[in-house]
Amino acid sequence: MKLFRRIVLRPLKADPIRTLISILSVALGVAVVIAIDLAGDAAVGSFQSSLATLTGKIDLTITANGGVDEQYLGRLAGLPLRAKLSPVIEQPIRVADGGRGSATVFGIDMIASAPEQGTGNQGGIFTAAEMETSAVVSSDAAVKFGWKAGQKIALRGRNRTTEFTIRTVVPGQTSGWIGLDLAAAQQLLDSFGRVDRVDIRLEPGEDLASARQAIEAAVPPGYSVRTPSDQEEEKRKMLAAFRWNLRILSYIALLVGAFFIYNTIAVGVVRRRTEIGILRAIGSSARSIEGVFLAEAGVLGVIGSLLGIGLGRVLAGGIEGMLSDTVNALFVTSAPSPISLSPAGLVGAVVIGTSVALLSALIPAREAARVAPAEAMRRSSREHETRVHSGRDLVISAALATLAVAACFAEPVDGRPMFGYAAALLAVGAMAMACPATIVWILRMLRPVLKKVSGAAGLVAERSLTTALARTSVVVAALATAIAMMVSVATMVGSFRETVQVWLVSQLGADIYMRGAGPATAGIFPAMDPRIPDLVRAIPGVADVDVFHAFPFRYEGTQATLGAGVMDIVRRKKTLRFMTGNSDTILGSLTGQDRAIVSEPFSNKHHVQVGDVLTIALGERPVKLTVAGIYFDYSNDRGLVIVDRSTLLRYLPEQPLTNIAIYLQPGADAVKVRHAIEEAVADYPVLVAPNRVLREGAIRIFDRTFSVTWALEAIAIIVAMLGAANALLALVLDRRREIGLIRYLGGSQGQVRSMILTEAGLLGFLASLLGLALGMALSLVLIFVINKQSFGWTIQFHPPVALLAGALALVWLMTILAGVYPARFATTIEPSDAVRSE
Amino acid sequence: MHPTNLPGYVSAISVRNVTRSYDGGVEALRGVSIEIAGGCVTALLGRSGCGKTTLLNLCGAMDFPSKGEVLIAGQATTSLDDTKLTALRRGTIGFVFQSFQLLPSLTALENVELPLLLAGTKGSEARAREILSWVGLAEKEESLPFQLSGGQMQRVAVARALVHEPKLLIADEPTGNLDTVSGDQVLALLRRAADEFGAAVVMATHSAEAAAMADIRVRMRDGLIQGVEQGRQQ
Repeated sequence: MKLFRRIVLRPLKADPIRTLISILSVALGVAVVIAIDLAGDAAVGSFQSSLATLTGKIDLTITANGGVDEQYLGRLAGLPLRAKLSPVIEQPIRVADGGRGSATVFGIDMIASAPEQGTGNQGGIFTAAEMETSAVVSSDAAVKFGWKAGQKIALRGRNRTTEFTIRTVVPGQTSGWIGLDLAAAQQLLDSFGRVDRVDIRLEPGEDLASARQAIEAAVPPGYSVRTPSDQEEEKRKMLAAFRWNLRILSYIALLVGAFFIYNTIAVGVVRRRTEIGILRAIGSSARSIEGVFLAEAGVLGVIGSLLGIGLGRVLAGGIEGMLSDTVNALFVTSAPSPISLSPAGLVGAVVIGTSVALLSALIPAREAARVAPAEAMRRSSREHETRVHSGRDLVISAALATLAVAACFAEPVDGRPMFGYAAALLAVGAMAMACPATIVWILRMLRPVLKKVSGAAGLVAERSLTTALARTSVVVAALATAIAMMVSVATMVGSFRETVQVWLVSQLGADIYMRGAGPATAGIFPAMDPRIPDLVRAIPGVADVDVFHAFPFRYEGTQATLGAGVMDIVRRKKTLRFMTGNSDTILGSLTGQDRAIVSEPFSNKHHVQVGDVLTIALGERPVKLTVAGIYFDYSNDRGLVIVDRSTLLRYLPEQPLTNIAIYLQPGADAVKVRHAIEEAVADYPVLVAPNRVLREGAIRIFDRTFSVTWALEAIAIIVAMLGAANALLALVLDRRREIGLIRYLGGSQGQVRSMILTEAGLLGFLASLLGLALGMALSLVLIFVINKQSFGWTIQFHPPVALLAGALALVWLMTILAGVYPARFATTIEPSDAVRSE
Repeated sequence: MHPTNLPGYVSAISVRNVTRSYDGGVEALRGVSIEIAGGCVTALLGRSGCGKTTLLNLCGAMDFPSKGEVLIAGQATTSLDDTKLTALRRGTIGFVFQSFQLLPSLTALENVELPLLLAGTKGSEARAREILSWVGLAEKEESLPFQLSGGQMQRVAVARALVHEPKLLIADEPTGNLDTVSGDQVLALLRRAADEFGAAVVMATHSAEAAAMADIRVRMRDGLIQGVEQGRQQ
């Protein structure tokens, strides 16, 4: 222990600023990884958490496309099962008071549902007389709308507004919901004879598998009977790609941090060479020398990880909202759950942070172990060896780049672009190996310019970086990695944004759009009153009214959306673009037929091609739909299957309409017509918006979706800047003698400062060049491999040139700023002390 | 004999009643006075710790007296701010160290050119090449320090110290790390610096050969000057 304190801890204590920066690099890396995991878990939440409060634990759930017919409840009740059936209505609803927003209505049988725990219907809160006008609300809804127990609230149904009295507020809820009696909910939502699902709770001792078998036999084949774990698995699958990509992105900061831990330990090895020689001479084994440096890295890793846990918890709180928005907008509607850090998560974080630190230190620690006791080699000769190896490194770089290209052509593994990630990692490796040769080459080109422009500062800065090539390469590679990630993500997001904008223009071809009032989240389609299309058609200036029915359905274990519209209007208005084939022919073939078109993400996710036959349950029976075409769609990741409206209504005649697209006559005043429509439908809970508003809204959602990505990028850049400052400080400390000497030779403090800042600027410049090149390569991998295999979207390559130029300039400036403290430190070096100490 | 009494020499440095003490009360110099003349070689002699290097640092304006004053080219070093001191070192002083102190990242030519670049002097490369040739290392201008022998490195250091034609050349044990042949070559260069450039060469040394070639020998002990004697016949 004494030895550990003297040989490991003392050098760390002797260099507090560098130690602190190294710890902070690990801490930020670990924090990001933890934050993404915690916030991801919380944002995904749980399907069951809200309703379980009212009904207790659920063992099985029956659902059907188009809803479950209540007539089967009797048949289910007659089964020889000891089980409690809970028919459920779950719909978004508008809160009428002041039109302040929406919440989810749960309609359940308030008499039959007696929860084992929770605060729902305990002790008969709803009396029989009050049943139709009573409500329980979640604490989240109570906070959102300012409700209290005993208060009367007005809820706006499909074509009526009803008043309810809040009997109780259920505490500890993270989503806004209102619980009503089933009959009251059906009346409010005009949903007679059908429920959204039936939840089943089995009595203790009842066998789940046989109960499931019996229930499946009692309902039509188109109905689905699933356990909560099936549903969780489905959600996990739907979010797998999204969470994987975020997770991978979160590791970038850790990767950048790893470069700097490597650098910190490598600098320690160079600086303590004499000490290592002495230790070896007095009997230390090579293994114990290696152990000293690994222990140093371990200390940095453990302290950094512990700090990172706290930081990650705070960060998770900040990004949970952003992730939750993305999950709800693009994947699946889900109530967020509280952020919770498990003991396993804590241990995992420490293991990850420490392992990364130890792995990063392995190479320099081994190098330290190889120092012969009598060795008194100078640094300059050590650095020269690195330069000699740069040719070999270039060959390795070329090999890695070739492997990266090959990995881009490999198929995904279990739906995950594993080879895409490998390609990205290989590309980073190729860049890192090419670093020494590239740096020497670029600096050689810059030499005359630097000497001419910056004089002695330019000459010394350039030479110092070339001579300390091993160290310079690590710093540049780390910075370049962070910059490359920024460039590639910016290019991917910029290209995606441009593609979506172009798509929105063609997709939103109608002038005005309407939808049922309610949340605009994935898989939720508030219904509209069937009388609305006729009301709209009667308004002067309206040319065409395309009605659309959308609802969620399950296909191969994941959720998707089934939609039905008037294909003749779609064909005439040319609002869809197909990957192959003539749009007129494709859309013309749908009317009245069991044929469908599918979106590109659906096609990629389920490997569906034109001519394939999809079997989808519509109501009670499975229907076979032939795929007529695949169209470009960027609305969500779930995937869409679209049939002609007449086809849908043949199987599900009561399926409510959810959206209306209105085309105006040429010359009609859009504002006037919109006002006339709003007036005509004033009594119905619908939203009316011109296409411009929808486009802006879509882009807003898009930007919000990528806000987490930007946050992660920013943290990786911050880690890189900390590392750059750390590395520059190390360079200054190691060159105290040189700096002192320059002062002896007539160098002013300003010249010393300028020398260090020039080095910082050169590091930033080299990293920007390499980062830009690598970033462009990575953006191709992101767009055409990782994104394509994860989400199935075709993105056109549109690098955001101005944004990239601005970002690179900013990073460059930040690198120079990272040199300010080391530069200031350099000017405080006392020349006579520095030279004498040598 | 007082150095400034030598015929044809003028005082380059005046050290007047200087005491240099450090934290803890240790006095490295105790009331020392000496005049250093231009165009002659002054050797500071004495055991390690006698105050030679402290006196050299004071003469090179790299350290400052606790009491008394040091005048270089007529200016008291304690009266100069950092900018003026920098200008003084750039224009007036050259340094040669025992351990050469070349920048390992620069070639021989670039090391020599560095003081001129720091001073912003035009035509620096040509002048550096000229002086490198003067010390006999024209063919080594592209070599990095680790590719040179000890003697060659010290000759490069001498070239660097002389490249801006300083009035004062400070040398701290210039032959301490060299073999006899290389040491003699370096001493010959220092001699030429005094003779051809008219520089006041002040060198701290333990070497008998170095002491023998000096014009003035200053013997020091325990922070005091014990005696000043004339060396080589003028």
